[in-house]
Amino acid sequence: MAEMNGIIEVDNLTFGYTPRNTVLRDISFAVMPGEFLAIAGPNGAGKTTLLNLLCRTLTPRSGTIRIDSAAVESYGAEALAEKMAVVRQEFVPIFGFSVIETVMMARTRHFGAMGFESKADREIVNRALDVTDTSRFASRPLASLSAGERQRVFIARALAQDTAILLLDEPTNFLDLKHQVAIFDLLKSAQLNENKTLVAVTHDINLAAQYCDRTLLLGTDGSCRHGQPGEILSAEQIEKVFGVPVFAGQVGRGRFFIPLGKFAKDAEQIANAPDGAPQQ
Amino acid sequence: MKRWLALSLIVLCWVGVGFAVFGRPDVQNQAQKPVPHHVERIVSLAPNLTEILFALGLDEQVVGVTLHCNYPSAAAEKSKVGTFWQPNIEAVIAAKPDLVIALEFTQQRDIVERLTRIGYDCLTVNVDKVGELFEAIEKIGFATGKATQAAKLASNLRTKLNRLSALMATKERLRVLWVIDREPLRVAGRDTFVNELIELAGGQNAIGPTVHKYPPIGSEQVIACGADVIIEPAMAAESLAEQQKTALEHWSRFKNVPAVANQRVYVIPPDTVCRLGPRLYEGVETVARCLRPELFAD
Amino acid sequence: MPDASDRSFLQIEQMAELLTPNKLAVRIVLGLLVLGAVMFLCSLIGTESVSLKAVFAGGAKAPAVNPDYEIFVRVRIPRIVLGAVVGAALASSGVVFQALLRNPLADPYILGISSGAGLGAMIAVISGLSWTLFGRSPIAIFAFIGALGTVWLVWLIGRLTGKFHLTGLLLAGVVVNAFFSAVIMFLTSVAKAEQVYATMFWLMGNMMEEDFVVLWTAGGCIVAGTVGLFYLGPQLNALSFGEEDARSIGVNTGRTRAAAFAIAAFMTAVAVSISGLIGFVGLIVPHGVRLVLGPDHRQLLPLSAIVGAIFLVAADTIARIVVAPAQLPVGVVTAIIGGPFFLLLLVRYSRSVGWLK
Repeated sequence: MAEMNGIIEVDNLTFGYTPRNTVLRDISFAVMPGEFLAIAGPNGAGKTTLLNLLCRTLTPRSGTIRIDSAAVESYGAEALAEKMAVVRQEFVPIFGFSVIETVMMARTRHFGAMGFESKADREIVNRALDVTDTSRFASRPLASLSAGERQRVFIARALAQDTAILLLDEPTNFLDLKHQVAIFDLLKSAQLNENKTLVAVTHDINLAAQYCDRTLLLGTDGSCRHGQPGEILSAEQIEKVFGVPVFAGQVGRGRFFIPLGKFAKDAEQIANAPDGAPQQ
Repeated sequence: MKRWLALSLIVLCWVGVGFAVFGRPDVQNQAQKPVPHHVERIVSLAPNLTEILFALGLDEQVVGVTLHCNYPSAAAEKSKVGTFWQPNIEAVIAAKPDLVIALEFTQQRDIVERLTRIGYDCLTVNVDKVGELFEAIEKIGFATGKATQAAKLASNLRTKLNRLSALMATKERLRVLWVIDREPLRVAGRDTFVNELIELAGGQNAIGPTVHKYPPIGSEQVIACGADVIIEPAMAAESLAEQQKTALEHWSRFKNVPAVANQRVYVIPPDTVCRLGPRLYEGVETVARCLRPELFAD
Repeated sequence: MPDASDRSFLQIEQMAELLTPNKLAVRIVLGLLVLGAVMFLCSLIGTESVSLKAVFAGGAKAPAVNPDYEIFVRVRIPRIVLGAVVGAALASSGVVFQALLRNPLADPYILGISSGAGLGAMIAVISGLSWTLFGRSPIAIFAFIGALGTVWLVWLIGRLTGKFHLTGLLLAGVVVNAFFSAVIMFLTSVAKAEQVYATMFWLMGNMMEEDFVVLWTAGGCIVAGTVGLFYLGPQLNALSFGEEDARSIGVNTGRTRAAAFAIAAFMTAVAVSISGLIGFVGLIVPHGVRLVLGPDHRQLLPLSAIVGAIFLVAADTIARIVVAPAQLPVGVVTAIIGGPFFLLLLVRYSRSVGWLK
């Protein structure tokens, strides 16, 4: 059931790229302001599609999406950019913009009449570069960075946009361990300190379990489960949705999951476990 | 939004100021008004016009010609104002002409417009047909104060042409294939002054009426046209003998065409037949000699 | 943990990278000064030697009295102004088309403007019209209509493939270009030789427009167009990253693309109608400026316009004198100079160009 006062409210959303196939079937959920939602699921379940629907890149076949109590279609490009910033997966650099130029673009809608930024804009951008640890290559062209460094730049750009909602599509895809954790720490602190609402599509269910308030688990069969990570993420669920057996364990408040295939060293651990129960 | 409105306003004002200060763009001046006074400095923009000027006795007054103006030899000595296809307006102005004579086709029309706008007197004539040649001679004569000489030149030319026609009328009209380019093969069609030349010389065009003035034709038509004589204006005025030899070799593959079978392929000097000017008679006579050499045995 | 002084140093370094209004103003002023100097120098060069003293003596009532003045004021100056206006127009449009199509190989003619203008010109010549509208010859008017009409047609066809489909737009341009070129070739084969020559000659790029009103109006339109595109600079920067990305930042992509496209197409059509098709300027000047100064469109647009003007004026001057008394078509000179010069720039600055990696 959709709850009231969510900053993002999705009701009975259905979408398919062609009339014949349907990717998302009758999905409903709400994201509370200041909440960190992780969207998880196997490839093809529609995670990125859902994200694109939320930021109005795609139009649903049926159902409604409301951002801050107004239908998402009612927002103009600038108004929507005021509410949400998006960090996407793909990136095709055509011209050699530098890192700081890229991040400064997030402030475009605040530029003055002549099209230049103000001191306030510059401070916001500097801060965004600082927190994403990208200040040291501020003047380097974007294309000369590694994929992981580039990803942080785009996260910095989204932060510089200074919005209440942040949508991220696999933000830790190319990052090394240190930066994976750093980014999730950064996102969490943005949530806690600035009350940002975060919706992140992620493959990393362990980090999701540790950092997110709620999880949306999408399956390729159109299934959709929404709730706290503790309820949603269990060994049985993950095996059903992802199609791979996992070994579930408890850390403290959260669980961790290790996928074990046929030839994995500890494969037999799963066979011995009662369904859904945490293992020692 | 405001800055766009401001921009549009500024542009409109700018354009308005332009019209106010410089006035409306000059309406094209049809520079056909004849200038019946004594002209001191004439610039000619075409070889045939130069020949006409010299034939009218205006050698002294001609101060600028094109690179292609090579006849008479005195003309070649005059200072050059560009090529026939691209007259150089700066050179024309530097020659300080009080009359500029040009032909009626686009590039020359453009330069005439520009000169007229600056204030120079210009005369454009059309010399596409033999009839127009006579008109042009008269017009130029009138504009330069040499009307009597022009009339005499014209009547002289007419007399000679008529005499030649009478002579050639005694024989049957031979079919002539007039070749402009060998590869790809292009010939002169019916709607050209070359055709008139051929007829004045007592022949007829081997090619029937075509859409193009200078149609490209294929081997089929060459064989079908049954030309008695093939005439090719030479590429350059020198080495005619060599060009003649190459031509014969090239045409030898069309053994069925009467012209080739009878070895009647002629390469002739180009200037008198490609240029419609006072030497028209020489050109026609050259062609006539190719058609009926026996009539010119003297 | 960087301390305060470290941070301020970093901030200064970072700011050194960003374009500021002052930096831009300085560069534009410098550029304009160079342009002025080049224009003045080139006006002194030509097939005839002109003495400035005679020029300053002023125009005479009757022609042929002060030929120096007439050559300088009525022939050279308009031609130089024409070169500057057309060069600026083509370079600015080139920047826009490269940004909109996100394709470094785009030039102002890529979406059918060249064949449209050519067809218009050909039709005007063949129909043998000799009327004028505001003193503009039919070729210029038909070429203008042809250019704008064709680009509009391409835009419509491109939209059939989907609202934001760049490839569709490019392909539509290719198809229309091919079709119109075929029509032009057909007309060429049935037209009179001199008509064909006249059209081809006009199309190869001619610098013969001399009417002050025309030059003034065109100049005003081009400057205004460049300023308008400058307004769109930040949006064009964002568009370089893609349609969706730009929209997430808050750019109204539909409006930006339509406005930029319309302005660029209009400027190109104006340029083509007064000077025929001059290639290379719209392709390499944006690249050259981008390689040296960076891809920020707020800077790229005004400076490409200025550099384009300088380039074309210089190229035209060379075209005027190198085979005197004949003239090379200016498009030949732009290609011959432009090619190697661009290669040089490429080698020196390729480090900073992302897409060359």
